[in-house]
Amino acid sequence: MTLDVKEPRTDGAAAQSPGSRKAGPRKPQRGSRPGGSSIDAQRKKLLVPFVGPAFVLYTVLFIVPALGAVWISLHKWAGSGPMKFVGLDNYGRIFRDQLFLLSFGNTLLLLFVVGTAIFVLAFALTLVLRDMAGKKIARNVIFFPHLINALVFGVLAGFIFNPGGMVNSLLAPLGVTDPPKWLAQDNIFPLIMVTLVCTTTGYFTTILMAGVDRIPPYYYEDCALAGASAFQRLRYVILPLTWDVFGTCAVLWTISSVKIFEIVWVFGGSSGAGVPPTQSWTAAVYTYVNAFSGQSTPAYGAATASAVLSLALISVLVVLLRRAMRRDAVEF
Amino acid sequence: MGKTARHLRPLAALLGAALALSTTACGGATDASTAAAAVDISGSISGQTINYWSMWKDGEPQQKVIAAAIADFEKETGANVSVQWQGRSNTEKLVPALNTNNVPDLVDGTFAKLAPVIGETGQASPLTSVYSYEVDGKAVSSVIPEKFTSNGVFKGEAGQPWMVPYSISSDGIWFDAAKHPELKAKPPATWDEFIEVLDKLKASGTAPIAADGDVAGYNSTWFVTALLRLKGAGSFKELVEDKSGKGWDDPAVLEAARKVETLVKGGYLNRGYNASKFPAQQQLWANGDASLILNGSWTPTETGSYAAPGFEYSSFQFPAIDDKPASARVDFIGFAVPAKSQNQASAQRLAAFMLSAKYQNALGTEAKVLPVRSDAPVDPAVASVKAAIDAAPATHLQNDGVTFPGFMEKVFFPKDDELFLGKTSADDFIAKMKDAQIQYWKDNG
Repeated sequence: MTLDVKEPRTDGAAAQSPGSRKAGPRKPQRGSRPGGSSIDAQRKKLLVPFVGPAFVLYTVLFIVPALGAVWISLHKWAGSGPMKFVGLDNYGRIFRDQLFLLSFGNTLLLLFVVGTAIFVLAFALTLVLRDMAGKKIARNVIFFPHLINALVFGVLAGFIFNPGGMVNSLLAPLGVTDPPKWLAQDNIFPLIMVTLVCTTTGYFTTILMAGVDRIPPYYYEDCALAGASAFQRLRYVILPLTWDVFGTCAVLWTISSVKIFEIVWVFGGSSGAGVPPTQSWTAAVYTYVNAFSGQSTPAYGAATASAVLSLALISVLVVLLRRAMRRDAVEF
Repeated sequence: MGKTARHLRPLAALLGAALALSTTACGGATDASTAAAAVDISGSISGQTINYWSMWKDGEPQQKVIAAAIADFEKETGANVSVQWQGRSNTEKLVPALNTNNVPDLVDGTFAKLAPVIGETGQASPLTSVYSYEVDGKAVSSVIPEKFTSNGVFKGEAGQPWMVPYSISSDGIWFDAAKHPELKAKPPATWDEFIEVLDKLKASGTAPIAADGDVAGYNSTWFVTALLRLKGAGSFKELVEDKSGKGWDDPAVLEAARKVETLVKGGYLNRGYNASKFPAQQQLWANGDASLILNGSWTPTETGSYAAPGFEYSSFQFPAIDDKPASARVDFIGFAVPAKSQNQASAQRLAAFMLSAKYQNALGTEAKVLPVRSDAPVDPAVASVKAAIDAAPATHLQNDGVTFPGFMEKVFFPKDDELFLGKTSADDFIAKMKDAQIQYWKDNG
């Protein structure tokens, strides 16, 4: 099997236009050539007019508020009225707060445990669906849960798991007279994790399948001729050729998992009528309750401190992930 | 590398500019608001426009009454009222607005929501003039029952009231009087009589008490009210304010926790109350599968659509313990005027206008809620609650008015839930609360 492995990607390579990939054998180390061609010079001139407007918008709408949040996190503030500068006190306080550590732990559980489950399942489904008849329908069916608002799952949980709900009604004829307390406070978070696996797997399966579909069939024919087993085919063809898709999915999941909020809010908290039990809080819920619980004086300082920490967590994890997932890009 | 750096230079300049922008933008927020003085509101307000952010949504019964009042107000005074029917999130929207000069002239909400964002942050105008303004020939202060205001709940920093209530809510232990006429004829007045009633109900085969155990605010009502029965209105707030946490060693506090423990251990609560999702348990109760529920005065309207046929709403108060005078829970819904509002006089006039008998009566008979005026008639379904409030010597707020940042949600509710859901004993609850409260004040003192 001969795959055409190109040189490692340099940082500058990301800016290349897709068209340049097809251009014959590439010269190595183009990025470091001193003068640059006239095209390079043109490109340099266009950087500010092209990137500038987007950059300004992005700065005003995202970076400035983010820096504003950092500024607020150094204060004791009820959202309006006087602000009192307290330095890093808010950070110290939330690190001492058992509840923040618990919420943060839950966020990590979602990120790693749910993430692992999702990717194992998504990969397995991808392999099964690739050869399956009617795979388009199957793909739509497993993608469907992702379209449904998390609120619906929160409300459904009541119908399904209430003491007089569907599950217990189905169990009763089977002689189960003392079913588990499905919606007890300690069970809510595991239920949320299962729900997330069910709803998110289809989404990532779809993305991974797009990557797998891209693999030209002659590689599989090559495998068949070489007598490769299914595992070898996975190991030497499918994984290397979908690695960049996989990496992107991992980053997407990292970012979205740290922000998971609404499903926790509606699963516990009586569909939003109250605050969910603390056992199921994530860092995002912790942030929200501090600022907007509506039951006590808002603590914007502590809320933004926890939001800033979440942002820091995402940034560090994404950098680490990109590093861990970095492989020689395989082009085909 | 050199090329990359050249590319980054203009970007770095942009970022620098953005940073400078952000710091100036945030500087303004630190300015303290200026304390406003009471204004004279008796003059003509014709032609003025009031911007009102309402807690009601279009179509709600209360909205209809207020909309009718606004129409009359505009006709009578010549002022214009521009209303946004925002719903309950109006207080959340109010917080960021208060940092700008673009504030509404009038907002309404529950005391529990308005107090933290506008009352206690010194952002509300003193409404002394509203209280002395006359509606139907009587001063507003004389049509609001004195016991609602005598404990000073509405008093702001300068000692002047910042809120004018137009409606109230309360709670009670609700039951179907058609099924349990004996409870209506002679409601249990003391804790022992209450337990007797529960034992009888349990023996008859129906679950005595339904409770949506996933709503921490409902669960906490049991402990907080028991404590208030033992130590009087204001005692829970006093207990929570104590930075040393010593208050939790008081035998009366343990006694209150024991009362809750009795209900849990005695098997008086409906099976599954600790693993269900609101409103499953109150539905069960309305269907007649459980006899009693401790819940708010909104219970008849909230459960009316699914109550069993012939259901006759009635309630009795949380029983007295040790024959101390029992206060009634009264939570307020009313108006506040942001200090930055440019239309003080007209906004305050509208607040006073809602206290007229015509709209107070409509709140009671059409919207079927409890009007703040005690002379206004109410719907038969909440008559029992009104009678209890009228008879009570004093009143208390939900959670005794505790609003310390995060205390209820992060400290009290989780531990109280453990007690009410049967995961911890009364003694452990007291010990845990004492430690948690000491830690809370160390962090937030």
